[in-house]
Formats: sequence, structure tokens, C-alpha cells
Amino acid sequence: MADNNIFLFVPNLIGYARVVLGLGSLYFMPTNHVLAASLYILSGFLDAFDGHAARILNQSTKFGAMLDMLTDRCATMCLLATLGSFYPSYLFVFQLVMIVDVSCHWIHLHTSNVLGKTSHKNVGEEENALLRFYYTSRPFLFFMCAGNELFYSMLYLLHFTYGYTFLGMSVIKILVVLLFPVAVLKFILAIMQGGSAWRNLGYIDIKEREESDKKQ
Amino acid sequence: MADNNIFLFVPNLIGYARVVLGLGSLYFMPTSHILAASLYILSGFLDAFDGHAARILNQSTKFGAMLDMLTDRCATMCLLATLGSFYPSYLFVFQLVMIVDVSCHWIHLHTSNVLGKTSHKNVGEEENALLRFYYTSRPFLFFMCAGNELFYSMLYLLHFTYGYTFLGMSVIKILVVLLFPVAVLKFILAIMQGGSAWRNLGYIDIKEREESDKKQ
Repeated sequence: MADNNIFLFVPNLIGYARVVLGLGSLYFMPTNHVLAASLYILSGFLDAFDGHAARILNQSTKFGAMLDMLTDRCATMCLLATLGSFYPSYLFVFQLVMIVDVSCHWIHLHTSNVLGKTSHKNVGEEENALLRFYYTSRPFLFFMCAGNELFYSMLYLLHFTYGYTFLGMSVIKILVVLLFPVAVLKFILAIMQGGSAWRNLGYIDIKEREESDKKQ
Repeated sequence: MADNNIFLFVPNLIGYARVVLGLGSLYFMPTSHILAASLYILSGFLDAFDGHAARILNQSTKFGAMLDMLTDRCATMCLLATLGSFYPSYLFVFQLVMIVDVSCHWIHLHTSNVLGKTSHKNVGEEENALLRFYYTSRPFLFFMCAGNELFYSMLYLLHFTYGYTFLGMSVIKILVVLLFPVAVLKFILAIMQGGSAWRNLGYIDIKEREESDKKQ
């Protein structure tokens, strides 16, 4: 049991640290942007390591995968809620992003489980070309996820400071403008991914009913 | 196929209506409380019917169950985000409630799927007494869920109006005070339920590793 106590596996210890850092970031988010951003970035930075540690140490677990997924979803959700409190006239937009982020990841993971796929990042041939590229090209996936997170993080910082200036313009503002298309594209990709998963779940239901009809 | 086109089953049509009403409610939430509250309540009211329709018409589907779950989670999440924008000094509290609501439902559903349970509302004997009561007593479950939703809805209305008065006190304020313990209890129940599911998921991992060790 000691060897197999997954709760103490290194990737999961990293996961617990990510949660603590994330909650700390949340606590300081409304007031102390430097501390909050540092904790948030540190938490996200560790995210790169838990996956590696799991593979190298052969310590991949279902528990760890869910811990990773839920930490990411809650961090994004709470950052968007904070942005909604900073920019109330855009609250509806941030809520739509929240809805898409949580529900599309959830339905995709759920349908993958029902289909019995090993990892939610593996995609069947029926997925369209853009989604397939998204999942097969590791650099593209990383760029999209990082760029998306960076966009909302910059929007967050912009509430507090213009940051450094470059040619008379705020660097933070420049990043917001440059990364906005990334955030939009990620939003669209998530909806496509979600729609595909909803459809597949429906087809699973249809297939089950047809098989159950045949037996009668 | 026509008979089995689950996308057009009555409970799922009700589900689509709930989504549209919910999004409408969200659009008006920051500004028009009567319209937003009416749409939100109507959406929640329909929630009582999709389950019944599914059972009576033999139209229960995995698709419908997920549609139901995600509509509820997103509605609660967005209401809490709105409350966070109304009462920014309590933003952290609303974020904690959001985190608990989304992650505890998600991990519980996920672990149930991995365990192969038929409905996430069925509970194994290992669950503690309070959780077992929560799931076996339909009235208690309904009271807790409804009371919890009502609490946050009243907090929402309180931002706009004191409503009717009773003995010189605002009825909405009275409901907020009375229902606060319900919201707290639901929060605690969700954490317990979530903790139990996390533990079970970990045990599944441990069991798989032990069986895989034996084979070697």
C-alpha cells in the first residue's frame, strides 16, 4: 500500500501545491495584483511539471488528472469572475466565457469517459481538421492555452497599472490587443469541441436505444 | 432513427428551453432584476419537469442528464459571479462557493462514472450518515437545493430592492437571514460529498495499481 499510496505521489503533491497557490492568488486578487499575479503564475508554472513528473516516475493517476483539470477550470473561472467585478459592463461576456470553458471541458471529458478513451486529448477521426490540429500539434495547443490565459491575466493587470511603456504605449495594453484574437479563437475552438462532444453523447444514446430495440 | 432521435426528445426540448431562458436571465441580470428573476425562476421551474417527462415517456438519456447538470452548474456559477460584481467585498466568498459547487459536482459525477454507478444520486454504503440522508430523503434534498438557490436569489434581489415589508422588516432580508444556514449546510455537504468522491477515485487508482502489480 505504501508504494501505491497515490495521494502522496509527486505529481499529486505538486497538484496540492497548485491548489494552495491558486487559493492564495484568489485571496489577494481584488487588492494586491503583484502578489496575486505571482501566485497565479507560479501555480500555472507548476502545471507544466506535474504531467512530466507523472510520466517520468510512472505516477499517472485518474486522481491526478482530475486534480489538474479542476484546478485549471476553477482558476480560469475565478479569474473571469474577478474580471467581471472589475469591468461590470462586460460581466455578461465574461460569464459566457466561463460557461463555455467549464461546460465544454466537462462535456468533452464526460463523453470521452463514456466512450472509454484513455485521454481526453486523443481525438477520433470524426473530429474536424481544426480540432485535430489543435490536439495533435502540441506547440499549437500550448500557444493557444498560454495565450488565452495571458490575455485574461493582462486584462486583470490592466485594472491596476499600465505597466511598462513601449514607444509611448502600455505593454500590457499591447499584449491585450495582440492576444484578443487568441482568446476569441480559443472560445470558438471550445464551442466546436463541446458541440462535437454533445453530438457524440447523443449518438451513444441513440445507439444504445437501437440495440435495446433489436433485443426486443 | 426517427423514433430514437434523442435530440428531439421532450425532456431535451425542455432542456434547450431552460438554456435559452437561463441565457436570457443572464443578459438582464445586471440591470433588470424582475425580468432576470422571472426568467431564472422559469428556467428552474422547468427543471422539475424534464426529469418527470423523461421517466413517463421513457426518454431518459445520458445527453439529457448532462444537459440538466451543466445548466444547473452554469446558472449557479453565473448568479454567483453576478453577486460578486454586486458585492465586491465578498467576491472571495462567492468564488469559494463557485469552486465548491462546480468541482464537487464534477468529481462526484466523474467518480460515479468510473465506478459505473447508474445515477450520481445513488450512494454506496460507505457514505456517511448525513450524506446518505441527503440522497435518500427526497424532501430533504429538494429543500436543501431549493433553499440554497433561494438564498442566492434573494441576495441578488436585495441589491435592487427591499421588496415587501413585514412587521417593518424587508421580507427579502428576512429570507436571506433564514436561508443563510441552508446555504452554509449545502456548502458543507458539497465539500463532504466531494471529499468522499476524491477519496474513492484515489482508491480506484490504488486498486488498479495493486492488480497491475500482481500480474507482474
